[in-house]
Amino acid sequence: MMMKTTVKIFALAIISIAMAYQPANAQLTGQQVMEKVYNNPSGDDTQGSLTMTLTNSRGEQRIRTLKQFIKDDGKMEKKIMFFVSPADVKNTSFMSWSYTDGRSDDQWIYLPALKRTKRISSDGKSDYFMGSDFTYDDLGDRHPNQDNHKLLREEKVDGKECYVVESTSKESGYMYSKTITWVMKDNYLGLKREFYDERGRLLKVLTIEKFDKVDGFWTILETEMHNVQKDHKTNMRFNDVQKNKGITESKFTERSMTLGI
Amino acid sequence: MTKIEKNYKLISWAIMVIVLVLTVFFISSMRKNSRMETNLDEYMPKTHPAFVYSDQAEEWFNIKDGILIAIENKSGIYNPQTLQKIKDISLDLIDMEEFEENDVMSLYTADNILGSEDGMEVNAFYSSVPKSEVMLEELKQNVQTNDMVYGRLVSTDGTTALVVAGMKSGTFTPEFYEQIVEFARGFESDEETIYIAGRPIVEGTMALLGPADMKRMVPIVIVVIGLVLFILLRSIRATAATLISVFVSSIWAFGMMSVLNVPIYSVSTMIPVMLIAIGVAYGIYYYNHLNRYFLDNPDTSRESAVKYAVRILFAPLSMAAFTTIIGFISLLSSQVYPIKYFGIFTAVGIFTAYLLALLFLPAAVIVFGYKPKVKKNVVKSVARGSAFRFLSNKLLLNRWWVYGTVWMLIIISLTGIQKVWINSSFLDKFEEDSDIVITDRFVNSKFGGTSTLNVILESEHVNAFKQPENLRLIDQMQNETEKLALVGNSFSLADYIKRMNKVMNADNEEFYDIPENNEMVAQYLLLYEMSGDPENLTKLINYDYNRTNITFQLKGDDSRTINEALGVIKQFEEKLNEQGITLNYAGSGYKALVFTDLILEGQVMSIIISLGLVLILLTLMFRSIKAGLIGSLPILITAVLSFGVMGLLNIPLSTTTALLSSIAIGIGIDYAIHFLQYYKLNLSHSGLKITAIYKTMNQTGKAIMFNAVVVISGFLVLIFSVFPPNRTLGALVSMNMFTSLLGTLSVMMILIFTFNVFAKKKSTKDKV
Repeated sequence: MMMKTTVKIFALAIISIAMAYQPANAQLTGQQVMEKVYNNPSGDDTQGSLTMTLTNSRGEQRIRTLKQFIKDDGKMEKKIMFFVSPADVKNTSFMSWSYTDGRSDDQWIYLPALKRTKRISSDGKSDYFMGSDFTYDDLGDRHPNQDNHKLLREEKVDGKECYVVESTSKESGYMYSKTITWVMKDNYLGLKREFYDERGRLLKVLTIEKFDKVDGFWTILETEMHNVQKDHKTNMRFNDVQKNKGITESKFTERSMTLGI
Repeated sequence: MTKIEKNYKLISWAIMVIVLVLTVFFISSMRKNSRMETNLDEYMPKTHPAFVYSDQAEEWFNIKDGILIAIENKSGIYNPQTLQKIKDISLDLIDMEEFEENDVMSLYTADNILGSEDGMEVNAFYSSVPKSEVMLEELKQNVQTNDMVYGRLVSTDGTTALVVAGMKSGTFTPEFYEQIVEFARGFESDEETIYIAGRPIVEGTMALLGPADMKRMVPIVIVVIGLVLFILLRSIRATAATLISVFVSSIWAFGMMSVLNVPIYSVSTMIPVMLIAIGVAYGIYYYNHLNRYFLDNPDTSRESAVKYAVRILFAPLSMAAFTTIIGFISLLSSQVYPIKYFGIFTAVGIFTAYLLALLFLPAAVIVFGYKPKVKKNVVKSVARGSAFRFLSNKLLLNRWWVYGTVWMLIIISLTGIQKVWINSSFLDKFEEDSDIVITDRFVNSKFGGTSTLNVILESEHVNAFKQPENLRLIDQMQNETEKLALVGNSFSLADYIKRMNKVMNADNEEFYDIPENNEMVAQYLLLYEMSGDPENLTKLINYDYNRTNITFQLKGDDSRTINEALGVIKQFEEKLNEQGITLNYAGSGYKALVFTDLILEGQVMSIIISLGLVLILLTLMFRSIKAGLIGSLPILITAVLSFGVMGLLNIPLSTTTALLSSIAIGIGIDYAIHFLQYYKLNLSHSGLKITAIYKTMNQTGKAIMFNAVVVISGFLVLIFSVFPPNRTLGALVSMNMFTSLLGTLSVMMILIFTFNVFAKKKSTKDKV
């Protein structure tokens, strides 16, 4: 584990050095910007609590709080989440292992009322995550090589200098016809992203409401996805985020799912 | 030319010009402003609680009317070609502006929730079309073991698949109807037959077929009326003038609508029907008097004949028009706006017809001349006169037979009235062997049903519908209702929970039930949200789990089917109320049901008001309560017989048929007033009841008969219409005219004579 991390940091260092050699005023390409975003270090593991608020067009809300643990070794991201509230789903847990090599995710759910862990499988990255406005694909890191990128312009948003990059999928039949991302120049975090549906109409807008450096990593602390066609919103707020606390592999097992928080 | 003649000419020309100018004005206004209201939602009283609730529920749960496209392959749908078509239809529909992705349901878009020993899978049934035998067989197995699609999106015999596209009620247009029919037809082949059904399609077809049929039939009706009118009046000029006045009164009525920016509703097409019946009558009365004057004074001038006819007609025509107008204005008591408008603008038309009879018809005689065929008429009228005298004698002598017959008819009708039912069905308006009915029957035979009824349950308590006891009640309600032959299937949150419970318990059929505790329900729901399409749940339950939607698929859209289902559902209302749950209904089928009830309620109300008003008006006009009572009788008989026949012949009440009773009133009033007025006049001249009866029968009786004959022959043409509602319309108008005629000339005549109406003193000598 240590080894891998070292390699990763080393690789990052090389990239940084390579980039540093570029003339300061040289135009980055869209591809380069998105690669920088993708390669933004996020730490080997993350833990914290998540408050997910779904708001529909009538203003009705569903609020759920979860505790989550994430471990990423570069090839595979393991994630385990425990529901804290509402009360009737408390200790329901969800675990997913996603792979960078294109294999479909492995997912498990533990229902305390049933006292059993079940594998669930879903064939679509376009499925929505827990009734939210995020698809699994929106949540995961999409590799920059899957899309063609074009730097549209540079502009200031909320006082922050941004690159504006338009991305279109290389594969046909992708759920979005294009996305436009505003990337902050100083930390290569995405600040805002617009998703356009297959008919080219604006479908969703993702905004980063709050971000900060946590344990030395730039971390998104609050984000909101607004489906403008349905006027449905999902707000995700991350609290007590901690990075690189050395979560063990044993946290991501079917057995640990049954133990609760 | 004398000065008087000159003045007459001048005034007549002025009238002609004014009528022409106003008509041109109204026509140009109609061209600019007239629009047909095709959005059925616009017909509903928006503030009525049932509609307010239903509209709100439709918004809550995205309740829409489904367009059903069925693809049938007799050798089974599990082959690459048919599966490709299901996929193409689904994707093409999603691409249409009219539909959202979640509005389209088919085997291609459906989620297959699968249970297995170690977990659960949610997959598409297929995304790329399976080609190999093994994969096709696997798909077939998957379909047959999934209750959420088996029998719902694929028929149980495997020959037909359904693509359902939800459309917001009222957004369907005739243009889109043509587009979607053409689209669906494009998928037909030697192997596959395409059927297209569902409420929007039925509404669309009706919106096209009804007016198209009317456009074809109306000219024939007018030609027939013109011909018969000519045979009776024996004058092209008189016939033309009468038809023009009918035509002009319709133009003015519709013109007034366009000036006031009132759209044309489907019931508005009944306005010309009323105006034909009434306008023709006015023309006939007018020419009848004119002819009589020419007959009695062969050497008279046009001017004095015209003056005489207007003078003698003025009082009865004014009374008749006034009471008829009051009758139609009483429709304002209806809660349904199209009916209110129908009442107001028919009244406008009648007022126009009245003005035209007193101004335009005389002016036409002055300007264009009029030559009654006096010689022929002498012979004819004498012959007719004796015929009427003979008829009167026969009737008066056999009055007990007449009373007996009328009583019998009324008793039979009263038993019939009890069988009258209101039908809100659109489908029943089509031929049994029409495409749309065959398609509907086919889809109903393969699937749950082409019509839907939504039951909405609400509770004050958050999470109420996570409680197993409430879900069990819902499940029981569904099971009981599904026992009805015409209820195909139903769908609710309970179905999802049962399916999940089974899947999570290794697909064990024993677990196809509501689980024991609410945590389990909550966790299943969460699981579904995480793995399925959460949009599916928003069609069933709100965010606080205290408002839920149950959908029943019905095999008919008629009131009987809906009421039958409602009957069973209502049995659960009490139990639900005990749980703090309220029950309401939504959807276009239910709205149509409430709507028809409102129309009928309004119509019955209007008949009662009209009868009361007519009674009062006749009593005041003739200063005799006897005249009032006897004069109201033909209307009452006509209305009772009209409803009775409908009950006996199983013709349900609908928007159009209910309005037909207005004809009974409009015509009945006219007949009664004219008859009473001339009888009174004749009695005061001769002093002898029997002579007065003979004379009145010969004059007014003849005019009434002419009017009935003309209108009946015109409307009988509609019996050859291809659109059943128009046929019913023709038959019922004809029947109403006929009963009004008989009621006036038999019973009313006899009663006037027997009860000494207008007679100063009781005279026994007159007894026949």
